[in-house]
Amino acid sequence: MAVETGIIAIGAGVAIGSAALATAWAQKTIGAAAVGAAAENEKMFGKGLIYMVLPETIVLFGLVIAFLLWTKM
Amino acid sequence: MFKPQEMQRTLIIGAKQELENTIELLHTLEVVHIIDFKPSNAEDQLHLGVPNEKASGVSQSLLKIRSSAQMLAFEREKQKVSEKLSEKQIQHDVALKIQDMELSVLSLTETKTRIEEHFRKLDERIRQLQPFVPMDISLEDYQGYDHVTVYTGYVQDLKKLTEQLPSITDEYELFTSNADDQMVALFIVKTYAEDAGKLLNDCGYTEVKLPEGTGLPKQFIEKWIEQKQELDDKLLQTTKDILEFRKRHAEFILASEEYLAIEVQKAEVPVLFGTTEHSFLIDCWIPKNQIKTVKETLEKNMQGSLYIEEIESKHDDEPPTLLKNPRPVQRFEYLLELYSLPNYRDIDPSFILSLIFPLFFGLMVGDIGYGILLILFGVLFMKAFKDSEGFSNIGWYIIIAGVFASIFGLFLFGDMFGLPFLPPLGEAGEAAYSWSTLLGIHIPIPSMIHKMEALGMTQLLVISIIAGFLHLGLGLLIGFIVERKHDWKHAITKIGLLFVLTALALLIFVMADWTIGQWIKPLKGSIVAPFLWNIFIPIVKSGFSFGGLLVPYVSLILGVLGVVMIMIVAGGFGLVEVLEVISHLMSYTRLAAICVAKAAMAFAFDMIGLGLILNGNIIIGILGVILLIFMQLMVFALGALSSGIQAVRLHYVEFFMKFYKGEGIRFNPFGYKRKYTTTE
Repeated sequence: MAVETGIIAIGAGVAIGSAALATAWAQKTIGAAAVGAAAENEKMFGKGLIYMVLPETIVLFGLVIAFLLWTKM
Repeated sequence: MFKPQEMQRTLIIGAKQELENTIELLHTLEVVHIIDFKPSNAEDQLHLGVPNEKASGVSQSLLKIRSSAQMLAFEREKQKVSEKLSEKQIQHDVALKIQDMELSVLSLTETKTRIEEHFRKLDERIRQLQPFVPMDISLEDYQGYDHVTVYTGYVQDLKKLTEQLPSITDEYELFTSNADDQMVALFIVKTYAEDAGKLLNDCGYTEVKLPEGTGLPKQFIEKWIEQKQELDDKLLQTTKDILEFRKRHAEFILASEEYLAIEVQKAEVPVLFGTTEHSFLIDCWIPKNQIKTVKETLEKNMQGSLYIEEIESKHDDEPPTLLKNPRPVQRFEYLLELYSLPNYRDIDPSFILSLIFPLFFGLMVGDIGYGILLILFGVLFMKAFKDSEGFSNIGWYIIIAGVFASIFGLFLFGDMFGLPFLPPLGEAGEAAYSWSTLLGIHIPIPSMIHKMEALGMTQLLVISIIAGFLHLGLGLLIGFIVERKHDWKHAITKIGLLFVLTALALLIFVMADWTIGQWIKPLKGSIVAPFLWNIFIPIVKSGFSFGGLLVPYVSLILGVLGVVMIMIVAGGFGLVEVLEVISHLMSYTRLAAICVAKAAMAFAFDMIGLGLILNGNIIIGILGVILLIFMQLMVFALGALSSGIQAVRLHYVEFFMKFYKGEGIRFNPFGYKRKYTTTE
């Protein structure tokens, strides 16, 4: 039982951790470009913000999976 | 409230001699959005208008006053104007006055520049002469020899120089300053000059050029410093004079600048009109509720000499957008325009934004302590940036969000700064910290949802999905309403997506049956109870098992129906939209995620801080208090920032994508917002 719980916990951790890494990776690139665009044209701020936060959905998928695993512990 | 102000396209046609009066009237009315006239072949009778002949004169005056203001380093924002000047007052000899002012400003600034220039020159001379002061030799004595060479400059190794010079010759004289900089003046017979030069180079010699003039350097410098002092006084006086001048003319500068800007605007507006030899045509948009006033004013003042026609707008017209919302909602127009101004045919979502944005923001913060902090922060923010419209609006959003956060914190989560008021049931040890146990008094504010428990987390996820379902559903409905007139295919796609969304939401509710079951219990015995328990629940719960998951037949039917509808009208490409709507629904789980993440962080910090404070040692206790305050502020800052951004995002991305097009043209009425002048 204890081993199973541990493995589930590791799985949950990997789920959210890797998803968060993926999000960070995507945001790194988009963020840099968005700031550049906003610096050139202030009107791009709104659009830049949207592009910037788009990848955050990825980490949420990770979170939901992690949560589903957690409830099975 | 949900649509921008309705616009009427109107043509105003008249004879050219009426042009000036017409412009004058339209300018005072300030409700006419003029369309730039573009000559086309079909209308080759009409060509572009030319500016009024006084335009160039007025522009020049405006340029002059702006350059004068620039030279005076005039800051418009900092001026307080007690009374507005009337246009007639200014009109009188404005050009002459500006000319006078320009001359005075020029002479003042020129005097200042001259003094500064002189000052700089003296400084430079003093700097050049300074090294020669310690030697105390008259300047004329350094030059004019036939058989002697003079070296003046700095050396790095003075000792080496004094030791080795005698080995070259003894026919020299060396003067040194006693200061640290090791300035030397070497007088040496020309025959040995070359050797001495080499030696000097070895000792790290840097030449200092001899300044022109005669006499002792010390005397010069004393004289110049005296002169500098005098110049300093003069400069002070001139600066004072400039300030005085600026103050005295502030009102005139502001008022005449405004007056001239208005005159230029009026004189140049004919370039937007179409004209023939004897007539002009103004093509414009007028808000429908203003059209009567415009017509009446023009007819009354021009004695019916203008022809005004309301023309039907064509399909490809792009009317300008003028939003009309009650005052509290108007503040949220800024948030909307940060994304994009609605176009004329869009539904104006400002009202929905003003309700749901702070609701989401507040839910994610969901803590009365942070809620009150948010309100305070918002008030400070508005005060600090009261001159900037955008920032003061943001302050306003923060205040409203703070109110929602407090309400959720008090009635739903029952916690303050991450700590619940009552200990959660069945937990022991650390987790049993609560305001009640901490303060030793029973605070009867229960937590309806415990963020830190599995059940609470599940409930929050379900709430998020419900919020997402309602929000996206609303978006799709609006999308359907907007599209049904223009593009029936898009409209049907929206309905199909709504079906898919509902199927998905029902599936998730059935999965989360055990968490939301208790919420509908209070409805037992109410009017809707028979519908709920006899019809709705049995229908939703009848389904088949798929991999251990109960899939309701309703979900299956709605889902398949939705996908088929979309496939029929949009083809295989429509499936992308189905996937998109699924991911958008999942996206709302961020409401729960941030709510819990922030609470967990606050709770963990509370544990660390309280552990230190209750440790018994007074010094560690004080450190604990400082640490706790610091950590709480950090959680507050992070929580407020991410909650705000995520709440914005849920609108900009998930909600707006369902119906919003934006990219409207701002309604820009011909006129001027007068600040310093009046027409009376």
